Amino acid sequence: MRCMQSVKTGALVLALISSSGAWAQTTVPPPGRLLASNCFQCHGTNGKGPGFERLAGESSDEIYKELKEMQSGKEGQGLMTKHAMGYTDAQLRAMSKWFSTQR
Amino acid sequence: MKRREILQAGLAAAAAAGALHPLSGRAASAGGRVIVVGGGMAGATVAKYLRMWSNNTLEVTLVERNPAYLSNIMSSLVLTGQRSMSSLRFGYETLQSRYGVKLVFDEVLAVDTAAGSVRLASGSSLTADKIVLAPGIRFDALPGQKDPSLMPHAWSAGAQTELLAKQLGAMKAGGTVVLTIPKTPYRCPPGPYERACLLADWLKAKKPGSKLLVLDANPDIVVEQDNFSKAFFGLHANVIEYHRGVEISSVDESQMMLYTNGGAVHGDVINLIPPQRAGKLIEQTGLATATNGRFAPVDVLSYASLDAPRIHVIGDSSATTQPKAGHIANQEAKICADALVRHFAGAAPDAAPVTNSACFSTITRSQASWLSVVFQYDALSRTMKSVAASSAASTGWTKDNFEDMNEWFRALMADSFA
Repeated sequence: MRCMQSVKTGALVLALISSSGAWAQTTVPPPGRLLASNCFQCHGTNGKGPGFERLAGESSDEIYKELKEMQSGKEGQGLMTKHAMGYTDAQLRAMSKWFSTQR
Repeated sequence: MKRREILQAGLAAAAAAGALHPLSGRAASAGGRVIVVGGGMAGATVAKYLRMWSNNTLEVTLVERNPAYLSNIMSSLVLTGQRSMSSLRFGYETLQSRYGVKLVFDEVLAVDTAAGSVRLASGSSLTADKIVLAPGIRFDALPGQKDPSLMPHAWSAGAQTELLAKQLGAMKAGGTVVLTIPKTPYRCPPGPYERACLLADWLKAKKPGSKLLVLDANPDIVVEQDNFSKAFFGLHANVIEYHRGVEISSVDESQMMLYTNGGAVHGDVINLIPPQRAGKLIEQTGLATATNGRFAPVDVLSYASLDAPRIHVIGDSSATTQPKAGHIANQEAKICADALVRHFAGAAPDAAPVTNSACFSTITRSQASWLSVVFQYDALSRTMKSVAASSAASTGWTKDNFEDMNEWFRALMADSFA
């Protein structure tokens, strides 16, 4: 359902860009970026520090796996465990993927 | 091409009328122009992210009246001598040099919501496609209050912080300090409680025999009840006297007295944190139509004002379900920046924004607790709703948390100002 929605939104966005002339100079954000920006306050802008663990350029699977482990509560009841519990599975995947694209 | 010609004609006309402050050497950015008013946590962040996320195609002008920002976060540590004011100072140079934000050090006197312009104290005006207002909060004056330096709030870092530090330092051992907490919503919900804990710890060491009266206008501790209750009634019970539901009706500065619904209270030092409302500009512009006329209602998908869609309101001035605090203000700014970048690209805002809050509270001068919550957009109520499982606090307080607090502050400020 969520996938279907984002495909539709994507198509709409493309249509709007091609029809909007001069305004198209600003680009539509890549998926996952706004979600991932929830992590920037503590892990640095784009996950590049300063702050806690650097996330930029880490493997998508690794970040996702770690977030899922935290979410399960097996890693204790720390702040990151509670944070991870606030996001859906799709959101954790989207932000993990976005960080993996950062260099 | 046509648009540029129209813009240039407009500029020429405006310049001829003497009404325009030149934003830059160019006529205008083809990507759109945004004015940001107020360079606090929300304003600095939105200016930075508007430039970064638009690949520098949006022209962003930040109007701020102070030469630098003084952080409210961590400012209670100035009262205990653990931090200097200069450690709380964050300049705007990097926003300009690294991101190309245009800086105008001036004061906005009025906002024209229809024209998209702001009038400055220096006499000139700025015009843009969108205006983001982030003027923070201001304080209600209580009856009898004439000189704000006699019972400082120290709730907006700066001269007031230094003043309160000085008054506390000059107080004799065995004295009485009073700290008042206004009704919600106010800036930084755990802030007054953490200040009370920190001061209690400091009083024990530096001013033995002193008392700290905490007068809370709320029916109970508003946040992190477990930790603050344990601290107030356990760890700091010999110093803190906590009174619920106490509202200040008037003050007598010459006698250092507070008159409340629970009787008269005297303090040798009084940290009077008054009720709060959105910055003056919000009310003046007619945007303070929520929370009994105190704060600005917004669409939390873009932070567009519900009263003037060309104006966006972020940070402590806005009325949302989220706490008024720097970490959240930073994320609100990113949602607003993302929505504006999409707007100028002809697209709708992200339909499912998420924000989070992480915050640390000093329970002693070397130990802290933490508080966490994630908010997801709820399409039905059009509000940000906290996710129950994510809403939690630490069990107690530790030295490690205190160190994490310092790291969190360093990261948060860099994400907002650098």
